Amino acid sequence: MDNQKTLLSALSRRTFLAGAGTAAAATLIAGCSDNGAFIPPVTPVITDVDILTFALNLEYLEAEFYLRAATGSGLATADIGANPGAVTGGTKIPGLTSDQQRIVNEIAYDEQQHVRDLRAAITAAGATPVPRPALDLSGSFTAAATAANTLTVTGNPPPIPSTFSPYADFNSFLVGAFVFEDVGVTAYHGAAPLISNAGITAGYLSAAAGILAVEAYHAAYVRTTLTFLATTTANYPFLGFANRIAALRAALSGDSTTAGGSNHTETLLTVPTGTTTATTDVTPTSVVAADSNAIAFSRTTDQVLHIVYGTFSNTAGSTTPAAGVSKGGFFPSGLNGNISVTQS
Amino acid sequence: MANQETQQLDNIIASRRAMLLGGGAALAALALPKAASAAATVTTFTDNDILNFALNLEYLEANYYYLAAFGTTIDQPNPLYAPAGAAVLGITGTVGVQGTVVVKPSAKVPFVNTAIAGYAVETAVEEGKHVAFLRGALGTAAVAQPQIDLLNSFNTLAVAAKLGFTTFDPFASDAFFLIGAYVFEDVGVTAYHGAAPLLSTTAAGKGLLAAAAGILAVEGYHAGLVRTTINGLDPTDAQGFLTITQKISALRSQLSQAAFVAGSTPPFPAAPGNPLGDDIGLTTNTTYSLAGAAPVSATTIVDANQQSVIAFSRTTTQVLNIVTGGMATTAGTPAKGVFFPNGMNGTFV
Repeated sequence: MDNQKTLLSALSRRTFLAGAGTAAAATLIAGCSDNGAFIPPVTPVITDVDILTFALNLEYLEAEFYLRAATGSGLATADIGANPGAVTGGTKIPGLTSDQQRIVNEIAYDEQQHVRDLRAAITAAGATPVPRPALDLSGSFTAAATAANTLTVTGNPPPIPSTFSPYADFNSFLVGAFVFEDVGVTAYHGAAPLISNAGITAGYLSAAAGILAVEAYHAAYVRTTLTFLATTTANYPFLGFANRIAALRAALSGDSTTAGGSNHTETLLTVPTGTTTATTDVTPTSVVAADSNAIAFSRTTDQVLHIVYGTFSNTAGSTTPAAGVSKGGFFPSGLNGNISVTQS
Repeated sequence: MANQETQQLDNIIASRRAMLLGGGAALAALALPKAASAAATVTTFTDNDILNFALNLEYLEANYYYLAAFGTTIDQPNPLYAPAGAAVLGITGTVGVQGTVVVKPSAKVPFVNTAIAGYAVETAVEEGKHVAFLRGALGTAAVAQPQIDLLNSFNTLAVAAKLGFTTFDPFASDAFFLIGAYVFEDVGVTAYHGAAPLLSTTAAGKGLLAAAAGILAVEGYHAGLVRTTINGLDPTDAQGFLTITQKISALRSQLSQAAFVAGSTPPFPAAPGNPLGDDIGLTTNTTYSLAGAAPVSATTIVDANQQSVIAFSRTTTQVLNIVTGGMATTAGTPAKGVFFPNGMNGTFV
């Protein structure tokens, strides 16, 4: 079963890789019939439901993180499907001001509704939504912090404490949220052009673009708030922690491990300095994560999988993304659905 | 939710009354939105037509932020550009009449808050890059920058939205700059959202789709930045900033709905709790139910359908009607007014 899943995923991946790869994959399966009959090469297709399912896994993760941070409890039974995986960790953030609590409540609601949107869309497409996969919202964060501390990061921010918990306080929550939001933007951005023409007619593209925009609003909330607090608060280490996370995401995506802003998937946060006069300006902030054309970054499903699994490859100690990674990090049993194993 | 809806209704009624007392073509049109028509509905269009529509909006946004951060329009050199990473931008084109920007002298905002000043510089650079990117993608097909008004437009808006003041100078202070930015950013999100599915399904069109989705995301970042900062400055609405955003959103929603054409809307129209609108301001009284529990108070940093939490989407006609103050509902007449006194350049006019 696992092998079959891997093969399906591998074939699906081929359609992502334009050109010769598709033909090669099709050739590979041609002639593999039990009775020896020739099977004509086919163009394997990743379906719109596969894409929606991939997104649903990520929304399960975000919703559980924010709901537990907001209330201490996760998604309602009606929203997680039959035989859902267990969730480890995730507790209500203590000591929030009412303004902070309202922010966390909003994002929790938004992500909860995205879970419902995607489950409804998959159902409407004639499929059964995958249940919530097993999620780790505890050890995954400390593992990410440990990995991020090994990287060389522009500005040499302080290491993230080994005791880091995103539920400890509001500032830690911002760092925890930072782990997810820009990834959501890049994941939806990467997925949008994969939607079929029929899917565009069915409204999937518009819906995906609309969720993409919401993820960008969220990402901007987190990045704006970290920037604002770092500008107005003495000795504020959390912006640096977030930059360490950005560097880790870049590394897991196969970009430069230094993540100095010239790589392909991340923009490090900056603290503006200077004063505004008729002839001077302060230095720019870096709220937006985007490329040199001010177009947001995009990630392949493989890059997203490496980030959420927190693993480069199945070879211990490797720092190069590789095929075959099927679980780890936030998803200790892997994602549910056909897109769950890295192909590169 | 009911409070939100009631608030919006009140605002719409109030703003209509205000407009009836006002003058000028744009205000008259605002007061009497005509039945939706096919005025700006274009049935045959190319990917370039869509990019040019976006370019008109980016000319508007880029000039706003360049003026706020640097004090000059996008086509004028300025020694402040280089340290910020900004560039002098082209505004010429073979299509449309090239215009100028109407703005007060010395528009550079005297920022006090370092973070907000940094946001202005960042956003100027990014919107400038969008202009450059679209002009590069369009090549010789790029439209010229149309006539843009960043002076009278905001005063018109303030009266129409009944903001409580009749002179609205977005270049006066940190807060007014943010409110001025608020006027544009959510509109950019809805415009790119509406346009993305219109791009062709050719390989070239798919490439443009990826770019458009990426710009959509950046507009979402900008909108989120502006809304987060306004909310952070005045979280309980003690200074009335949140109410101002609600009034601006209500006006945008009204103009958008006036240009609504049945069958032309994207699949996720108005929210059940917000039947009139496709726009949500910053609020203090919104409540949401989390995991089936009793409703809890929440912010509205995200401007989206409150049921699906999918960002709103607008047709080109709806966007045109917003930026021209209600002039996109007259059949056979190019929409012109408010931010685009002579209308946009291109096919969607």
